[in-house]
Amino acid sequence: MSETKPDPAGEGGELWSGALAGLRSELRRRLSAAPGADAGAEGDAEAEGIDWLALAEDLRRRLGQLGMRERSGEVDDFGLDPEMLRSARPLFRLLRRRWWRIEVVGLEHVPAEQPVMFVANHSGLLPWDGLALAETIEEAHGAARRPRFLIADWLITLPFVQPALARLGGVRACRENAERLLATGRSVIAFPEGVKGAAKTFRDRYRLQRFGRGGAVRLALAAGVPIVPVAIVGAEETHPILFKLATPARLLGLPFLPVTPTFPWLGPLGALPLPSKWVISFGEPLAASASPGAAQADDDLLVARLTEDLRTEVQRLVREALAIRKGVFA
Amino acid sequence: MPTIAITGLRTFLGRRLAERLATEAGLRLVGLDRLRPHGLAAGVRFREIDLTRPDAGSALADVFHKEDVDVVVHLAFRREPTPDLDGDHELETIGSLHLLHACAGAGVPRLVLGSTTMVYGPHPDNPNFLSEEHPLRGHPHAHCVQNRVETERLVTDWAARHPGTSVTVLRPCWIVGPTYRDAVTRYFGRQVVPTLMGYDPLLQFVHEEDCLDAFARAATGHHPGVYNVVAPGVLPLSTVLRTAGKRPLPVPPPILYRLRAYPSQAQTGDRPEGFYDYLRYLWVADGRRGWEAFGRPLYTTREAWMAAISAARMRSYR
Repeated sequence: MSETKPDPAGEGGELWSGALAGLRSELRRRLSAAPGADAGAEGDAEAEGIDWLALAEDLRRRLGQLGMRERSGEVDDFGLDPEMLRSARPLFRLLRRRWWRIEVVGLEHVPAEQPVMFVANHSGLLPWDGLALAETIEEAHGAARRPRFLIADWLITLPFVQPALARLGGVRACRENAERLLATGRSVIAFPEGVKGAAKTFRDRYRLQRFGRGGAVRLALAAGVPIVPVAIVGAEETHPILFKLATPARLLGLPFLPVTPTFPWLGPLGALPLPSKWVISFGEPLAASASPGAAQADDDLLVARLTEDLRTEVQRLVREALAIRKGVFA
Repeated sequence: MPTIAITGLRTFLGRRLAERLATEAGLRLVGLDRLRPHGLAAGVRFREIDLTRPDAGSALADVFHKEDVDVVVHLAFRREPTPDLDGDHELETIGSLHLLHACAGAGVPRLVLGSTTMVYGPHPDNPNFLSEEHPLRGHPHAHCVQNRVETERLVTDWAARHPGTSVTVLRPCWIVGPTYRDAVTRYFGRQVVPTLMGYDPLLQFVHEEDCLDAFARAATGHHPGVYNVVAPGVLPLSTVLRTAGKRPLPVPPPILYRLRAYPSQAQTGDRPEGFYDYLRYLWVADGRRGWEAFGRPLYTTREAWMAAISAARMRSYR
């Protein structure tokens, strides 16, 4: 549905995309210069003689144009902007490899056929978990198989956050959207815990909440797509919620107002995730989806049972992944 | 040869549809409005009707009887909101009620209602693509949208009580094109366009010709039901403005929503929310049902927008 046509108002855009391309190639060179070691990155880059002044100038220009204006060009029907994804990729790669050092386990369980419903545990205030999972799968299977992650309603009302998430492949979590995505052959990442998962306090970390009302399982059964349970460990510590404020949240019209070690204190910088160590673990696809059908989706008891099975499986994967991890920041 | 009556002959859609059906399809056309439009094509018969008058119902029924009307296309709606809230309500909602009474009285076999996808309303909990079955929530501060919502409810109730009449409801999204003008195109026509800071919703347009095609096919064929009339594809607001070479002026919503004396807002008689919420949240409609019934539009959203802005650029060289 996305059309590819030249941008007629390109004079301003030309300059901008040129600067972006420069920045991107610099970053790519920097990243490929030192794939593994942290300490080597700076030294190698300096040795190569990167023009830091030019890089700083690019960055300054980029920050100057941080408005919504220049970010989105061609988008697909759900608002994903491949251009913005491309330009954000180096940052995501940095986050995944250096910041969180994500360890991926069981990637072979992801089925080869197209639409898949990934069901994962949800944690962290901002959907870093969805973004990281989508990036991980895209890296393994290519851009065409990048799944869309479903985002909770309360994020949709937030200014700046909502457009940014939509351009990066976030879709509001509702039946119609998930149905349409699966019907058009695009995989979906669902977080059935929803806002209960994102808003749980640090004390309850890695304790799975109720899995919604079985919507994810019902949809997957109706669409006849396999369900892959996924455990994401580490996202809990990106924004550990110490406690929640009730009255100010009500005044601001938010579902909850979290207090994290960084959030209200550092202002917008509090949106930055902490550098916890992550493990993403894929489980085996759920066997029940082998014989799909609308009749199964209407069987409420079956849906409830499968949902509970799925929750247990994700919880088991989470426990396993926690065992793999040596320490929160190790 | 069926006879088609079109209310709101002086509206953009009414006039163009009447002239197209009369000259291209050679159908018998009866155009209804308060005043005779200038330079009306010869094939269209004009009858004077004022839908805001209390006796409009019987006057309309008379016309439908005498002209032996087979299809009524109801397009007598304001192109854009006016500060006269009561007047708008009289014309749009009560006028539609008169028309329904007349249709029942004259036993008109087919009715086509022109609505808009704005009746779904901009809401943060809308799905990305609104189907025709989605509840019509409208917007409490957009009085013309509320009139349409009410009209649609009236028509739905009426259709249930009059199974002899086949009712088609067409909901076009924002119309753009070389010649179409309304409050929306005027908003996009400014050099500096106020937008809501931090929001960049996906927008959807339909080209005026595609919209007319859909109405022409709905009027001449048999398509009972509700159809969204939209072009494929979506564009973020930011891209819409950038491709047109406009400068967005992002304003925090609480500030923008307090600018009630702002001239363009005073013209509509609504609070700013009534318009700007449509640039804040998603209200994109799913057009698949309409494409199956009336054929795929010639223009995508992007192409429709390009056609509109290139025509606007040409105009500035006059």
